[in-house]
Amino acid sequence: MYAWQVALDHIPLFLTGLRNTVLLLVVSTIIASVFAVPLALVLTRKMPVAAPIIEAVSYVFRGTPLIVQVYLLYYGLAQFAFIRTSVLWPWLREAWTCLLIAFSLGTCAYLVQILRGAIEAVPHGEVEAARAVGMTPFQTLRIVVLPNAFRRALPSYENEIIFLLHATAIASLVTVIDLVGAGRNFNTIYYFTYEGFAIAGVIYLAIVGVIRLSFGLLERRLLVHLRRAGI
Amino acid sequence: MPSVDRESGAAGAIQPIIVADRICKDFGSLTVLRGVSLEAANHDVISIIGASGSGKSTFLRCLNLLEMPTSGEISIQGEKLDLRPGPEGLVSHDKAQVRRIRSSLGMVFQGFNLWSHMTVLENVMAAPVHVQGKSKAEAREKAEHYLQRVGLYEKRDAYPAFMSGGQQQRAAIARALAMEPAAVLFDEPTSALDPELVGEVLKVIRGLAEEGRTMIVVTHEMAFARDVSSKVLFLHKGEVEEAGPPQEVLRQPRSERLRAFLTRAAV
Repeated sequence: MYAWQVALDHIPLFLTGLRNTVLLLVVSTIIASVFAVPLALVLTRKMPVAAPIIEAVSYVFRGTPLIVQVYLLYYGLAQFAFIRTSVLWPWLREAWTCLLIAFSLGTCAYLVQILRGAIEAVPHGEVEAARAVGMTPFQTLRIVVLPNAFRRALPSYENEIIFLLHATAIASLVTVIDLVGAGRNFNTIYYFTYEGFAIAGVIYLAIVGVIRLSFGLLERRLLVHLRRAGI
Repeated sequence: MPSVDRESGAAGAIQPIIVADRICKDFGSLTVLRGVSLEAANHDVISIIGASGSGKSTFLRCLNLLEMPTSGEISIQGEKLDLRPGPEGLVSHDKAQVRRIRSSLGMVFQGFNLWSHMTVLENVMAAPVHVQGKSKAEAREKAEHYLQRVGLYEKRDAYPAFMSGGQQQRAAIARALAMEPAAVLFDEPTSALDPELVGEVLKVIRGLAEEGRTMIVVTHEMAFARDVSSKVLFLHKGEVEEAGPPQEVLRQPRSERLRAFLTRAAV
């Protein structure tokens, strides 16, 4: 009981961890989502030069562990003199910058593929119907293709965000106090391993609960057209 | 310039709604259409019949440029489409004209092609609002009118996946009508339907014919072609084998091919 008492006294520590975890999650998700839409369109159009480059970059980010990417950015970049002397160095040497870059690009690489699949799964007949009534290519995209694709992508998108949430634990390895970092600091001071990490775990569960709830509401609103009686 | 043509047409002689002249279409090395011509005057109902692979659907899709002809000329309401030869058939350099032409020709597809994430009402309102720039209120009024017309007013808030094929096709017809097109193109509108649902869709199309709408219907329904159309076109291997009023073409076929086709279709 004493350990929990001590843990309660350290609520601010865990709140700092929660704030940093949520910040990393939200900012990376937003950046990744914003870039994923146009990049996925480039892929579905099979644009020359651009599409193979996106495929290659996406392959690299999906093909290496996130932790390797973070280490390469945070520890690796400092090896290069031209980076250390560049104007970007004050930002690049910050753990936060490295984490946001790695998380955003890594998530974007997955989202691009999810969206590409969703866009390609939009029935061709619906696109043709849009052309047949005289919609412009942009209107076809905005009114028919993307709303349809986003709805299809919703369940995978939720998964991706949950994966990213858990991946943000990597932040604790490069000086940022996220939820895991808070649990570990607590453990380092008091050796209350179980309590420290249990609190972190419960907060992760709660965050996932919020994500699930939000997507559940979104799906109820946006996926009615797929929910047929009896299925 | 095209507007001048249209005005002179409106003022003077009766102008055909659709004129297609010697339309050819190749898909790579495969030639699908070998110079098919058609003229649809106001109130014409033209049925295009023929075996599968004869080029009926491709021809219909060339009329609103969903398929680009390899050669040929098309005029809609006196406005000649600006089609120029390109590396792989004709290309249009006037995208705005293409969109205008498309919105003046309603199209009903074999597979309905309703937008699945929209309700029936939203499907019918979309083109008037986004393409024709109508106000939501006006588009809604029109949409409700046409949904009433096809007997789907009560289903207006349903999503396509919740409706039968016949209902979906009727909704698609309402979507085409909501743009108040000069003509409606039907691409085998009943071929994807269960037999017991064909009747309800044909009834709606018959009603439109009786209203005097200009329509071009690619169909396998010989009874429909016989009863409703003012003209029948029989396509064989990308060419018009026979054309004329249904009582001539369907009752007294001149060619052996059409006779054989009608015998098979009658079974």
